[in-house]
Amino acid sequence: MPAQAILAQFEAAAEGPLSWATEWKRTHGTRLLGTFPMHFPGEMAHAAGCLPLILQEQQDPITVGHGMIYPFYCGYTRSIVDQACKGEFEALDAIMFGDHCVQVLGAADVVRAKLPNTWVHFYQLISSMSDPWSLSRARETFAQLKAGIEEMTGQPLADDAIRSSIRLFNRNRDLLRQLYELRREGRIQFSARQMQLAVKSSMVMDKALHNELLKQLLAQLLSARPSTGSGVRVYLSGHFCQAPKTGILDLIEDCGGIVVDDDLYHGTRFISTDVDEVGDPLTALAQWYLARNLKVPCPTRVDQKADWETYLLGAMERAKAEGMIVLMAKFCEPHMYYYPEIKEAFERRGVPHLLIETEHELNMLEGLRTRVESFLEVVKRRAGAPTRRVA
Amino acid sequence: MASRNGRFVMGIDFGSTTSKTVILDLQGRVVATAIAHKGSVSNEGAQVSMREALAQAGIGEADIARAVSTGYGRRMLDIADKSYTEITCHARGAAHLMPQARMVIDIGGQDSKVIAIDGNGLVSQFAMNDRCAAGTGKFLEALARAVQVPLEEMGPLAITARDKLSISNMCATFAETEVISLLAEGKAKHEVLGAVHAAIASRTLGLVARVGQRQPIVMTGGVAQNIAAVRHIEQALGTALLIPDNPQAAGALGAALFALDEVSAPKTADEEDRLDSAAEVSHCGTPACAAKEAGAGTQVLHGPLRR
Repeated sequence: MPAQAILAQFEAAAEGPLSWATEWKRTHGTRLLGTFPMHFPGEMAHAAGCLPLILQEQQDPITVGHGMIYPFYCGYTRSIVDQACKGEFEALDAIMFGDHCVQVLGAADVVRAKLPNTWVHFYQLISSMSDPWSLSRARETFAQLKAGIEEMTGQPLADDAIRSSIRLFNRNRDLLRQLYELRREGRIQFSARQMQLAVKSSMVMDKALHNELLKQLLAQLLSARPSTGSGVRVYLSGHFCQAPKTGILDLIEDCGGIVVDDDLYHGTRFISTDVDEVGDPLTALAQWYLARNLKVPCPTRVDQKADWETYLLGAMERAKAEGMIVLMAKFCEPHMYYYPEIKEAFERRGVPHLLIETEHELNMLEGLRTRVESFLEVVKRRAGAPTRRVA
Repeated sequence: MASRNGRFVMGIDFGSTTSKTVILDLQGRVVATAIAHKGSVSNEGAQVSMREALAQAGIGEADIARAVSTGYGRRMLDIADKSYTEITCHARGAAHLMPQARMVIDIGGQDSKVIAIDGNGLVSQFAMNDRCAAGTGKFLEALARAVQVPLEEMGPLAITARDKLSISNMCATFAETEVISLLAEGKAKHEVLGAVHAAIASRTLGLVARVGQRQPIVMTGGVAQNIAAVRHIEQALGTALLIPDNPQAAGALGAALFALDEVSAPKTADEEDRLDSAAEVSHCGTPACAAKEAGAGTQVLHGPLRR
């Protein structure tokens, strides 16, 4: 299949996740299990014969949802509530909520109230990651989650089935990581928008299908001529639950930046860590949960062995990035609390970075363009400026 | 695109409400400055300011060796060989006019910016209002209408205020409502206008805090011509501001200086842009991409800053 056709499939799933999943359910008879983002192990839902679907922020204006949730909540939670109020989650057989921030908790309450006939399971993962009991507590939560899925499907969930799904999901993460590695090395041309579509569609599509498409895409990209473009190498950081608007990604690259790496949830954060394929699957998933926070630290988790700013400085160095653009969803409290530490560390090290606050209603890109262009101008000049004294 | 054989360079600041053009000779002397106000991001305004500047200098377009554009409409001008953001150009222009400057406050029609500059006159940090025009020229225009005082009379009137009235510094719409409320309470116009200018100063103080105050500070942009705005910002920051002779044209001057750099030392200019000089324009393979030549698997690089 040509790369463009593969990307079209990715785009259809990424931009219309509910339509895509509903059609999959219609044609395959699969149950749909909607989840909140960040820490849900889709492997278990897949092993139970469900299509795990990470619920996505939609770009439509938020209307009736504002009757149920505060306007100062983040765009993701407001959009989820709005979709629930509009009846857009009707096709879901079950929803599983995590509790990684207070706004998500609020959204979960509204969704539960609005979907009384949908099976809902709430899980609470330990957020303290380096205590002696962290692993056992995380395993306990996943055991409850497994029991919840078994209750929903009415079928026991075999360890071998979970291991089989783990292998499939590991393969998916590996293929996506290959895309990142090849882009980082400049061996393929792949824009930030395209990367987002590849990762975001993985949150929606059946994994076996997604893996097949990714394999074909990689082959196509490797056979095309390698990247000859140049620009300021940019690292993107931030945006947890929701995908950054693709218009912002386009704008950054249109201004002369080349996105070479990221720690976005709709990016590296989602694919950073594999799950052990051999041992007890619940322990393996609990280990995965703890380990991925060391791979790409998350400000909603507390871990004495990881700090986000040190990770970011190292990640930028590894990616040979010259500047970092922080995309902070308004009003993402975990990010807002943590950002001052990143700012201080980057300023102390003299590494250029630009903070962009994003929001659901953000459509004015020209003002943003001025800031991004100015930032890239500063980065370029720092990298290659001649010494010119003021006249 | 301008001829490379001319004896002059041009900087055009195609702003949100006014267009400014500065022409320099190859020795860096200002030979013309023109400002035109023709509505929001008006191409007509840009053309008028360029024509006026050329007429002032007594030259034609063919005499321009290099032109650099800046401002909101910077990518809309065919004459420009290159464009830079207004942040970069105001910093350059202000540093040229006031070499001792280490910070620039630029309040224009739609944007307000605070720019820290290094010893080379280059931007080291900046902060800019993101999506709201509060504390900008538009804010003043909207409130001038509410108070029914001509824009140019606002500053002199506001400077006579003695009461410490307060209005919102966050939103022009809220502020207008508050202004109407104060007028309905019988407050004098000059007192209300004093509060309007204090609100601009508060907003500016917030931007300065984001960058970290440095001194000396130069103020540029149209609002620098407003005596009350300058006075209130000085009080808020606790320091005097340096105001160049023609603060509104500082961005266009900066653009003209960049154009002059490229005529007098093209290698230096290339070096500044070395990172994007080899950029190849290709198009996105994403189906939704509007690029005409979209090809599978190619990266979006619609063009670097270099025009």
